[in-house]
Amino acid sequence: MKGLRFLMVTKKIFWNFRHDKRSLALMLLAPILSMMVFGIAFSGDMEDVKVVIVNLDQGYRTPVFNQSVKISQSVISNMDRDVLDISYSSSIEDGLKGVEDGTYYSLIIFPENFTMNIMAYKSAMASGNVTAIMGTTEHSTVSIRSDQAEVSVVSEVNRLVMQAIAETMEQGGFDVPIDVDASDPVYGEGATFIDMFIPGIMGFTIFLLTTTLSLITFVGERTQGTLYRLMATPITEGEIILGYALAFSILGMAQVALLIAIAVLVFDVMVVGNLLLTFLIGSMLGMVSVSLGILLSSLARRESQAIQFYPLIVMPTFLLAGIFWPLESIPAYLRPLSYGIPVTYAIKGLRSVMVRGWGVAEIWPQLLALTLFATAFLLGAVLTLKMERRRA
Amino acid sequence: MNGVEIRGLCKSYGKIKAVDGLDLTVGSGQVFGLLGPNGSGKTTTIKLLLGLIKPDSGDALVLGRSISKGIELERVGYMPQETALYEELTVHENLKLFGGIFGMKKRALEEREEEVLRIVDLKGRRDSLLSELSGGQRHRISLAVALLHSPDILFLDEPTVGVDPPLRVSFWKTFHDLKRKGVTIIMTTHYLDEARKCDNIGLMRSGKLISKGSPGRIMKDTGTDNLEDAFLKLASARSPGVIA
Repeated sequence: MKGLRFLMVTKKIFWNFRHDKRSLALMLLAPILSMMVFGIAFSGDMEDVKVVIVNLDQGYRTPVFNQSVKISQSVISNMDRDVLDISYSSSIEDGLKGVEDGTYYSLIIFPENFTMNIMAYKSAMASGNVTAIMGTTEHSTVSIRSDQAEVSVVSEVNRLVMQAIAETMEQGGFDVPIDVDASDPVYGEGATFIDMFIPGIMGFTIFLLTTTLSLITFVGERTQGTLYRLMATPITEGEIILGYALAFSILGMAQVALLIAIAVLVFDVMVVGNLLLTFLIGSMLGMVSVSLGILLSSLARRESQAIQFYPLIVMPTFLLAGIFWPLESIPAYLRPLSYGIPVTYAIKGLRSVMVRGWGVAEIWPQLLALTLFATAFLLGAVLTLKMERRRA
Repeated sequence: MNGVEIRGLCKSYGKIKAVDGLDLTVGSGQVFGLLGPNGSGKTTTIKLLLGLIKPDSGDALVLGRSISKGIELERVGYMPQETALYEELTVHENLKLFGGIFGMKKRALEEREEEVLRIVDLKGRRDSLLSELSGGQRHRISLAVALLHSPDILFLDEPTVGVDPPLRVSFWKTFHDLKRKGVTIIMTTHYLDEARKCDNIGLMRSGKLISKGSPGRIMKDTGTDNLEDAFLKLASARSPGVIA
């Protein structure tokens, strides 16, 4: 019947699925995977935020019972252990070193007279001694020296310290103002969310564009027969992959240069560290991405199949690589996945260079991780080309 | 040294035997035509000889080197059935790319580029994007790329498909010129009339070589006056009533 001819087109699409079960599986599984990853990533609370406390509080000895009271201890015990992973240090210098080398996000300092001054304030309030009240405010301050490169982590630490102080005051029946001074961060003075976010989006963009482009291009090499024509020349599989990797690592550097220029000129983003290091990270990420694209291309026979990998590339990276929120806010059982995504290291490296001003001495773990990913993916890509001959 | 020596070459795809125990020798400086209908195993044979696919069993020597150990691809020219060139590049860029891969120096490349474009009659399209050319013109550029580095052996998979008759004559003149220079040419075709211009031919069917020899000899042996009838006679003799 003429009017039902469109049904033939519908049937043809389902016939196609019958021969292409991979497409059908992706059509059905990709949305489930996306929803799961989104749901899990967004439902996570921040966990395992490493902080170090230097408690210099000398406490207060009660005159009647001669008992030593340290209000700082109560504040510390009221800190949310589900979020904060607390260590202790006896000196401010050691604590600061821990923040500087990236072991801790924050150093929380309780001053010597923390309890004494609270008690003094309390008794001054009771006696109505205004001069005494004014004199104590300066000492009732908890200092927090943070690595502000991860703005959202630091905000959470500040919030939890304030919450612990408020709970302690309420439990003790004190009505004493205590300041939290976070005005002197170790890194990222003046850093805002955009300063944290831009390195993340740089890493994500380079990865996404390079992987997608190399995936589509390489599937094209296969479908147009150019790959086989190249293989009938003296060029080796390794040289083909190397040629691609070099081109895309140069493109990666260009992308970093362009993105940094826009970030600085348009968004006024801070770049404290060495620009050359950001180019290096960009080029390494380009190399990782191109080899991943080539690896994935061996699983696709057509461009239309290659596009189906898009959600598989985009979703995990988008949600788990630390672009928008720190890894600490990703559920602990998902974090191993984050460490399995190369972009995680590129973003951490870029953020460390741009906001913290770190050099090779500090970001070598990220450079090493990217090198290992690049080596593994490049070798994998060469291997898939070599296997092509066996498969054909 | 022979151009090609094939001994018991086999390649299957699942249950389908694409090449089934092929034995063949092609002397140096010969134009050899592999003939047969679609799916008879001609292209698979060429791909096996180039090392693009691995055989299930058997071996072959190309210019004295075994395909299992890797042939001297520097001395080989290959024109696949499909154009297999970069459509987003110009004719010149495609030639430059492949010339570079074959290690040609700039000067030599420029000279050869002009020469091969003259052979395929596309000198005026040097700076055209490949995507701007017609199917036949792309096919001619594909031949130009195969000839560019002056190979000692040429594998041409359906080189004259989509080529108009006058140019086809010119192509054959080029093939015979190359033969005179000692170049071995192995081509596939299903134009049986064209096969008469080959020194020797091999008729393939279902992965097997059902006859080989000079065109005149095959016609004489089968008592026919054209290769089409010879092929039909040979095919029906092998598998009565079934002609692919």
